[in-house]
Amino acid sequence: MNTPSVGRQPHGRGHSEGHGHDLAGLLAQVACGDHAAFEAVYDQLAGPVYGVARKVLRDPAQSEEVAQEVLLEVWRSASRFDPARGSAAAWVMTIAHRRAVDRVRAENAATAREQKAAPDIGASDDVFELVDVALDRQRVRRCMGSLSTLQAEAIKLAYYGGYSYPEVAGLLGLPLGTVKTRIRDGLIRMRDCMEVAP
Amino acid sequence: MSVQSHDLHLLTGAYAVDALTGDELDEFEHHLRQCPSCAEEVSGLQETAARLGLAAAAAPPPSMRAQVLDATNRVRQLPPSGVRLVTADGGRRRRRLVRRLPRPIAVAAMAAAIVVLAVLQVGARHQLQQAQANSQSIASVLSAPDARIELGSSTVGGTMTAVISAHDREAVITASGMPSPGHARVYQLWVMRGTSARSVGLLAGGGAGATSPVLADDVQPGDQLAITIEPAGGTRQPTANPIAAIRTRS
Repeated sequence: MNTPSVGRQPHGRGHSEGHGHDLAGLLAQVACGDHAAFEAVYDQLAGPVYGVARKVLRDPAQSEEVAQEVLLEVWRSASRFDPARGSAAAWVMTIAHRRAVDRVRAENAATAREQKAAPDIGASDDVFELVDVALDRQRVRRCMGSLSTLQAEAIKLAYYGGYSYPEVAGLLGLPLGTVKTRIRDGLIRMRDCMEVAP
Repeated sequence: MSVQSHDLHLLTGAYAVDALTGDELDEFEHHLRQCPSCAEEVSGLQETAARLGLAAAAAPPPSMRAQVLDATNRVRQLPPSGVRLVTADGGRRRRRLVRRLPRPIAVAAMAAAIVVLAVLQVGARHQLQQAQANSQSIASVLSAPDARIELGSSTVGGTMTAVISAHDREAVITASGMPSPGHARVYQLWVMRGTSARSVGLLAGGGAGATSPVLADDVQPGDQLAITIEPAGGTRQPTANPIAAIRTRS
């Protein structure tokens, strides 16, 4: 008499599909007013949002202000996130970088920014020590390393420094057209290096 | 001063890292709407730029978490469909919710519409009656066969609603759910065309309720109907950025 074998479950480990990292799914819940989902989004993105604000703005108090604005904007406009148009992280980081840069430019309109305090375009990242981001940092560093010096400098000045590309051209003493193409070529090379899907 | 589209295409990288400003930014964003390949490239480069951002993560002050989470209780969320987003990203993302009303039942629908606009949302019934009694023009816009309802969210909370008749070149505007504009301040309505702004009047009522409908004439396609917060009595020209706006279309 054969006893059918029972009790062997194929998915013994309670397979959880990227639980905790599905930002797009979390944003959909946030759009419905789910505060717990927003907490999860906060825990994943507050560090990057604050970090990018720090990079661009330097001043901790201002960076915190901008980070708060950005995160509340994520809460407010979560319904506008469209997964067909890009990743959730890119959506949030685009808002964050734009807000930080807008803040810098609004201030520049009032008082000229100190050029000498400008860019540490070297690799000295004193701001953060988070384990979570080690991998990203490593990959970004590696891919930055694959760029020409000018490409890397132009991108760092624009992204981390928050400079407009004419300002970048001024800082590097290069023609506008050159900077424009350096930034584009460099980003394309980084994109390919990091295997970011287009 | 127009730039070749080939040159514009080279700006995808600068755009993705927010290194464009002023006219060039406007011109590129305009171009982006007509250039699917540029949009695709921008989207990919924004993903890349985002990686630069993620790599810069830093520990925020611990107190920030409670502050942000607490603030979500006071910030109203935008509704799920494409109502125009005014402030986020400096007004760069624009979408609208447009509802075309079926012609055969235009009058009935419009009667219902004004109820939605001015009464049921907020319970300001007398304002509707007043408006209906006082203004044939408003009624005529509301019953125009080509009238559209457009909604725009306000950055201070609440919703701006416009019923626009392109044919009559008129629009009826109300706002609901907006907080008080503050001591000695008013909500003022403008028709903005290019760089010029024409005052249409003050939005009376306010508070948590709906404002009385205001009629704007000489409204042309592309004009923007906008609300600003101004000193009591209103101003000749807007002194602040709009807190809500709706762009009319043909």
